[in-house]
Amino acid sequence: MKFRPRRSKWRSRGKPLVLLLTLALLLVMLFPFFVMITMMLRSSQEVYVTPPRWIPHAPTLRNFALVWSQYLLAGYFKSSAIIAIGASALNMLLSIPAAYAIARLRFKGRQVALYLFLVVQMFSPVVVVISLFKTFARLNLLDSYIGLIVINAVFSMAFSIWLLSGYFKSIPVEIEEAAFIDGATRWQTVIQVILPIAAPGLVTTTIYTFIAAWNEFLFALSFIQNQTKMPLTLGLYRFVGRWSSQWELLTTAAFLAIIPVLVLFYVIQQRLVGGLTGGAVKG
Amino acid sequence: MVNEGAPTAKRRLLTREARLAYLLLLPAVVCVFGFMVYPLVYVVMMSIFRTNRLGWLQNFVGLANFIEVMSDLEFWRITGRSLFWTLLAVSLKTFLGMIIALLLNVEYRGRKIARMLFIAPWASSVPISVLLWSWVYNPQFGLLNHTLRITGISANPPIWLGYPISGFIAAIWVDIWIGVPFMALVFLSGMQSIPDELYESADLDGVTGFQKFIYITLPSIVRILQISTLLSALWTFNDFNSIYILTGGGPVNTTDILITSIYKNAFVYARFDRAAVMAVITFFILTALSVVYARHYFKEES
Amino acid sequence: MKSTLNGKHLTVLFVMVGLLALPSLVFAAGKADTAAASKSTATFFWAGYDGVTEDYRKGLQDAFNAIDPNVQIDIVPVPWDQMKDKLTTSLAGGKPPDISIIGTRWLLEYEDLKQLAEPASYVSQATIDDIFSGAKEGVVKGKLMGLPVAAGARFMAINNRIAQGVPKTMEELETMAIAANNPPDHYGLFMVGQKNTELTEFAYYFYAAGGDFFAKNPDGSYGKSLVNSPAGIKALTFMDKLANKDKVVEDGYLGMTRIQGHPLFYADKIGYVMIGAWVESAMKQAGSTFPVTYAQIPPFAGQKSAPLIITDSVAFFSGAKNLKAAGKFIDFWYQSEWKGKFDELAGFPPVTKKASTLPVFNTPMYKVMSEASANAKGWPLIATWDQCQDVIWDAISKVYLQTETPKAALDAAAAAIDKINNIK
Repeated sequence: MKFRPRRSKWRSRGKPLVLLLTLALLLVMLFPFFVMITMMLRSSQEVYVTPPRWIPHAPTLRNFALVWSQYLLAGYFKSSAIIAIGASALNMLLSIPAAYAIARLRFKGRQVALYLFLVVQMFSPVVVVISLFKTFARLNLLDSYIGLIVINAVFSMAFSIWLLSGYFKSIPVEIEEAAFIDGATRWQTVIQVILPIAAPGLVTTTIYTFIAAWNEFLFALSFIQNQTKMPLTLGLYRFVGRWSSQWELLTTAAFLAIIPVLVLFYVIQQRLVGGLTGGAVKG
Repeated sequence: MVNEGAPTAKRRLLTREARLAYLLLLPAVVCVFGFMVYPLVYVVMMSIFRTNRLGWLQNFVGLANFIEVMSDLEFWRITGRSLFWTLLAVSLKTFLGMIIALLLNVEYRGRKIARMLFIAPWASSVPISVLLWSWVYNPQFGLLNHTLRITGISANPPIWLGYPISGFIAAIWVDIWIGVPFMALVFLSGMQSIPDELYESADLDGVTGFQKFIYITLPSIVRILQISTLLSALWTFNDFNSIYILTGGGPVNTTDILITSIYKNAFVYARFDRAAVMAVITFFILTALSVVYARHYFKEES
Repeated sequence: MKSTLNGKHLTVLFVMVGLLALPSLVFAAGKADTAAASKSTATFFWAGYDGVTEDYRKGLQDAFNAIDPNVQIDIVPVPWDQMKDKLTTSLAGGKPPDISIIGTRWLLEYEDLKQLAEPASYVSQATIDDIFSGAKEGVVKGKLMGLPVAAGARFMAINNRIAQGVPKTMEELETMAIAANNPPDHYGLFMVGQKNTELTEFAYYFYAAGGDFFAKNPDGSYGKSLVNSPAGIKALTFMDKLANKDKVVEDGYLGMTRIQGHPLFYADKIGYVMIGAWVESAMKQAGSTFPVTYAQIPPFAGQKSAPLIITDSVAFFSGAKNLKAAGKFIDFWYQSEWKGKFDELAGFPPVTKKASTLPVFNTPMYKVMSEASANAKGWPLIATWDQCQDVIWDAISKVYLQTETPKAALDAAAAAIDKINNIK
């Protein structure tokens, strides 16, 4: 099975317009990040200035050192990574078989299953946090990575299953049949044929789960006490004081927290390109 | 002889297929419901009991809590606002997401960087992003009003978080800002699966760009559109941080939606029973929405 | 040919689960359950005070833990904004910390719910005796249920470059603020316009007008809400006048909470501000260079000075498992130089006699705070206070937004509060 790289659907003379529009939208969407960058390059004396200024008079890189050494940022990074990677892995593990079953197999309760996963999404974490705390307390999962890994995977399940089942379903059955005729087992078919074709869907759900877990705040706040297990989301809040916030440190740490996510996305986005050759892909 | 493992076996292998299906579904179902059954049941219980200030059940009161909540005019205002908030935010997120996805679908050097940059609003933790936005919106120290002034766009920009309407706009923009990358990503991944031949043959027929979008792109990603807008609606309806951290639901509850009211009732007023009632009502509203959606979705399958 | 799915599929599935879960399990193995048989680790929810650094927290923790390996403390940093929520979750979930810093008025609520343990059972008498009797606000039903950890009366800070004169009454403040006012360069008075979790702004003026939030019953319990008393209406009308008629208040005050707005003072833009002990360390951080004077918050003419005092306490929770260790930690903290250091960093006047002898507490700001403490009033000790505050803030907002008169807004607020407290 070969894939052809996607080519643009617009001719080259449309490109300058595309670039212009992209730039304009980027300016709008990235506005707070410009603020973030200008804040993290200044000392505490220049944070509260009015009228505010975009360029600090005395830019400094001190905040990076401060934030890293004083606040154990490395530890927060490690915790966030463990939770996010674990949650993505667990989510993949559980939703791929489930999505395949829903997409390919006929059985009673197929639609019910999809509905049920949706039901979980209708309750905001705010509503269930205390009950989950009690459950975790009983299972001795408080203050543990496993607890957060599981709960993050659970809350990403609906999206994964719905999206992946959609992707699986859109792959023509003929392709699987062809593999069977070639003598592959269902298992081999899935791993070697279907998953690669559904790569865009897999990439999307992985990124979604990773980001959701990386940025999750409420459960981490409620379940984690041990400082060595605190993820970045909690760590960042250390800079929000009772009477004032240390914006220069907060923005620095927040900036550092985004970098891994962006890097991950940059690396993985190649796999967003994929799909079928031949045959129309009707949603 | 027919290979019984083939997905299109002529004999209806319901039992074997079904068994396999249940087996494959089992891990996910066990994981999700193992953890969520108790919380969901407990929420329902809290809505029909009186609770103490820690949410512990006291005595059964039937529908009394529901009557108390639903006879408050403020509740209906908040509910209406929640629906309006969801409708507006999801529409704008879908629209903006689609435009960005189309733009990122075009090949050019540096596209990978552009894609990465558009993900940024989503890459940051929501409470921190919203805090950052509250700083941006600050009337004295915020760079938004400052920039609006010096670029001449607005000589007297509003005090965003101080008034009902501008507060609503400020909050909904943040919600949209956070949600657009997700939509763009999902749409983009869908668009990437569309084979080139379709566009090429359309070009041969002399079809315009817009028509290509309507007749090729859209239909191909229609199911992805449905899934993402449905899930976005569920998430947007319950988007707590965007409003609470910016305006606290104020001024005077004019930017409250159901989820912020639920939080206030539970954690500020310590009225877990009222909060649970609103959560249950939220559930009914979202279920109704999902049923309508899903019916459409499943109808298209057959 | 029979499909080989079931057996093989299952095996591979389990292997996959195991492989992927293994790293997580390895990390998760270092869970909280590290308590050895004789080792006792107490948990302390540590609310973040501006000025109290991470170095201090870590230093304190390490210093105590070095003493006895079987008696350990885990000082968990929690942002103030999230403290109440986290405590509610932990208490409701049945796993409270051993000790926690709390707002003193929360004591009433937790005592009602029978969640508190009496500190005297775990802390040595010497520690308790060393605390100023005036600071012992955490008394519920006659028993000391919370040890004071930070007690700060509020006062007024004056930017002498912008403002001239120390007002003796609120009326004088108005005149002086108008004189100092010169927008947009600088403003006369700072006012918080956006609702936040504390009602301090209103309390300054309300207490200055001689007001009390609730009528007190003979048995000490709280009765009707008095927020719509003449004092309340006078206070709110005055606040509205300052903001909307005299316009001596900072531009955009409606969109700023205290956290976002006070920095205007440090930025040399405000003449008069009502503020607390953190002002000195905040000004240092912001690099403020203007001359500053500290004074009492003035009462209205004809009233007695009654500033606001806010205290935080350390509470012991009966559902926790390591209270003895927690008690030992408190003894250590309060009786060593660490407590004085804490007071100095946080900017609060010391609550213990030992610490108060330190020379660092002899500055003008501390002198003003001590004077203020003599007449100051705290928040009403009522369990529903958070909700009452919320109601009053909404009334204030309505007046600021000019959608209601002070009298109408406060009357409605008083009625709502009475309803909340089931007072007829």
